[in-house]
Amino acid sequence: MKRYDLIVIGAGPAGLSAAAEAASHGLEVVVFDENEKPGGQLFKQIHKFFGSKEHKAKIRGFRIGEDLLRDAEEKGVRVVLDSVVCGLYQDREVLVQTGEKVVHYKADAVIVATGASENMVPFDGWTLPGVIGAGAAQTMMNLHGIKPGKKIVMLGSGNVGLVVSFQLLQAGCEVLAVVDASPRVGGYGVHAAKLARCGVPFHLSHTVIEASGEESVERVTIGQVDKNWQIVEGTEKTFDADTLCLAVGLSPMSQLLKMAGCEMKDTPLGFVPRCDSLGRTSIPGIFVAGDVSGIEEASAAMIEGRISGAAAAEYLGFLDTSLLDETLGRFEMALQSLREGMFAPGMRGKEIRETEEGIPVSTSLLEQGYLGDDELERFPGVVEQRDAVRPVIECTQNIPCNPCQDACKKGCISIGEKITSLPVVNSEGKCTACGMCVAACSGQAIFLVDESFESGYASVTLPYEFYPLPEAGDRGRALDRSGKEICDAEVVEIKSLKAFDSTNLLTMKVPLSYAGQARFFRR
Amino acid sequence: MSKIADVVIIGSGIIGNSTAYYLAKKGYSVTVLEKSKNIGDGGSSRNGGGVRQSGRDLRELPLAMYGVQNLWPGLSEELGVDVEYYQQGNLRLGKTEAHLDILKGIVAKSKPLGLELGMISPEEVKEICPYLSDEVIGACWCPTDGHANPLTATLGYYRRARQLGVKFYTEQEVLSIKKIRGRARQVVTADRVFEGDQVILAAGLESRNIAASVGIDVPMSDILLEVLVTEAQPPMFYQMLGTASADFYGHQTTHGSFVFGGTSGLDAVNKHNGTPVNSSLTASSTCRGILGYLPALKDAKVVRTWAGWIDYCVDAVPVISHVDEVPGLILACGFTGHGFGIGPTAGTLLAQMAAGEETVLDISAFRYDRFKAKI
Amino acid sequence: MNVLEDRSIDIGPFVSQGDDETIICRCEEISKGEIRKAVHEGMYTMTEVKRFLRAGMGLCQGQTCGKLVRSIIARELGVNPLDLELPPSRPPVRPVKMDVLASEEFPGAEKS
Repeated sequence: MKRYDLIVIGAGPAGLSAAAEAASHGLEVVVFDENEKPGGQLFKQIHKFFGSKEHKAKIRGFRIGEDLLRDAEEKGVRVVLDSVVCGLYQDREVLVQTGEKVVHYKADAVIVATGASENMVPFDGWTLPGVIGAGAAQTMMNLHGIKPGKKIVMLGSGNVGLVVSFQLLQAGCEVLAVVDASPRVGGYGVHAAKLARCGVPFHLSHTVIEASGEESVERVTIGQVDKNWQIVEGTEKTFDADTLCLAVGLSPMSQLLKMAGCEMKDTPLGFVPRCDSLGRTSIPGIFVAGDVSGIEEASAAMIEGRISGAAAAEYLGFLDTSLLDETLGRFEMALQSLREGMFAPGMRGKEIRETEEGIPVSTSLLEQGYLGDDELERFPGVVEQRDAVRPVIECTQNIPCNPCQDACKKGCISIGEKITSLPVVNSEGKCTACGMCVAACSGQAIFLVDESFESGYASVTLPYEFYPLPEAGDRGRALDRSGKEICDAEVVEIKSLKAFDSTNLLTMKVPLSYAGQARFFRR
Repeated sequence: MSKIADVVIIGSGIIGNSTAYYLAKKGYSVTVLEKSKNIGDGGSSRNGGGVRQSGRDLRELPLAMYGVQNLWPGLSEELGVDVEYYQQGNLRLGKTEAHLDILKGIVAKSKPLGLELGMISPEEVKEICPYLSDEVIGACWCPTDGHANPLTATLGYYRRARQLGVKFYTEQEVLSIKKIRGRARQVVTADRVFEGDQVILAAGLESRNIAASVGIDVPMSDILLEVLVTEAQPPMFYQMLGTASADFYGHQTTHGSFVFGGTSGLDAVNKHNGTPVNSSLTASSTCRGILGYLPALKDAKVVRTWAGWIDYCVDAVPVISHVDEVPGLILACGFTGHGFGIGPTAGTLLAQMAAGEETVLDISAFRYDRFKAKI
Repeated sequence: MNVLEDRSIDIGPFVSQGDDETIICRCEEISKGEIRKAVHEGMYTMTEVKRFLRAGMGLCQGQTCGKLVRSIIARELGVNPLDLELPPSRPPVRPVKMDVLASEEFPGAEKS
């Protein structure tokens, strides 16, 4: 029987990274994936990733996927698609369904990187057509170019719910509400803020009571929940929505590991194999990487893949044990830096009152999805400067991300060594309004404000990722952080440089007194 | 801690649960101990559901016939749970003359006990089950055979016994049976002792180690049995199927899915990792076996496969027996993969034995001391 | 002994609730009320509920409803959901047509 050095199950970020790493040490590697396209969820991630350079920050997910696939293939990895691994049997044997047959393969090591599937939540009407997973909605939009619906309610305010809601807006859908039973936004504040300023309302401490309609969803009713998660009578609100997206978490797809006899553990975050920091399970030669061993961001999955790939290489004697630590050292540091800050795995469920810098967090951001006007000035990214253009960085939570610091060549922005630190705007820096920081910010939280723009008027430059693009001279209304129209605005410039990677910079002119509030433009 | 009952039953499979139910009906207090977290986790939840008389060892046949005539037809009503019993016959199929010879042998063997069983022509086979391959040249046909759902039957007995006050304890791995003043009385687990005037050992394969604690051996070994289940199909037929070459057996369920057992031929020596696991070869082999007889199922999707252990007794019939040297102990094990169909009868007999009644059938062929050296 | 080990501990009678009609296992169309009722009839584990009702036995093999079924059983028994073991995972992970499963290939084996 054909024997590979390594079989990787799943061609997502973890699997491809593991395969590339192992192949770079000389292993003969094959990757099986049930989908017709490689990349797992990466190819539908059209947003820019967070992190620092080593985590491929500010690169859009699908590009990272393309690079990863190329890297793996250049190293000689065989990627076999449309191939379902039906079973993981004793002696590291896998049975793969390819076309109209099943094929037996064995390998000296197996890395399981099967990812996760979307959770569902039951309520009246949850089985109606029109109730879909947020990930499924993303697949429809970003891989197949189909709008999931016209009027959408999103349940779940974690990063998936927030990111997909924004992409729904980009696709031209109307997002009627983001609903979450938790009293606080679950995902990054910057993701929430992008939605809020476009006018998407947040209904926190609310949950879906019912989806109803004749043949498919026509209405979605939500209601407020009390401390015991019971609906408060009289708080029901009904939306005329045709689609209800569920972004209520992911569950590791760990069936193959359980089937193979790996020791498993049951955690509130999913049913996962017991494994060490190198992804080694209880069965020698079976490794794991990525969401199947615990849900995290794709950036973490890619590093975990590298680690498991190196560990498999060491297990099979392709990588000298004495060199393993050195190889792993840099990966582990990179992984550690992603696992810090307010959204670190260890922080789940904890209420955070202050940033690492000791600044009280914005309650408005957590409860309504946008920063309150009176909360801004305590953050180091917002400085008073009336005589020149300056960046205003509305980044108020400790998340592992620092591309803005690298983007500015004029010394206006600093984060420092620790990538979770809040960005500081340095008023001594000489901002030239190049816009690189605005485009580099994956959270779209940086604006250029020039209160000396014109007598009585200020200019506000904001990241803009909607088509069709407005043109210079277009008149419309400026919206504040909550999405409320506050004043007239005129587009003075649209900048679309290649270096901005499809993030367009829209500069609008607003009355001077609105310079601190105007954050979005609507025709 | 000590818990006292009239009867302690070790094992919550269909044997243990049906015995518990019939004893509770007679007014006895009963305790049932289960090693796993789940009731009926052994062979009772891992078998093909056959309620067959045909093809049985002659010693076992009276038990099967008694069950089919007296217990299975009213069981759903009695338990208040649909055990999905179908009595639409068993077809044992042949494609070659050699197959037909095997089938004729089965027919001849069962004749003396009066079982309705005979050879039928390919036309008659087609009339009974039109989905079968044209390659089938004959079958032996037992019209009173059938099948049921092992899961709901085992849990149905449990549910009803529990309602009648039987105490079930799970996660109670029995380490030993302890004699008190010459009688089996205490059943010892890691941290508890259960007591009964009588102890019934119905723990499948594990019975061997437990019996050893009172110096008794039941010569059993394990054989891995594997089954596959399809997604629901439109109703097609409700006969139980088997073949002369024993390459698969199975039936369609109430739900619509087909349940098929089968073999790779290597089952007797399959290895495992401590739990019964599927081999990579058996399901495919079984599918080829099935499609050779039922080509109409080629597009049916297999949704799962599973494996279990058969408590294979060296002469392929069970031990159902008092133990002379250990008064108070009743053995009920070694059912060799045939235990489900005769489960209700075995439960009836065991309840009678524990109650000191005369058993409704002669059970002398199932004595524990029948195993002798061949030379 | 806790309720998971001692099946004679009384968990009270089944009382119907407003959302009992809600479907939980969509593959097999098993409702919340059916699951709750099964618990009161003695099915205290996920595996028992699966075997008794077929919840989690359908095409997705419980990947969708597993957590939901578990939380319903746990609430009925008054235990932590994590104390309830998930049923085993079995091949095939995705449904496979019988004729496909019957067509095996062993690459490289022809050399024998």
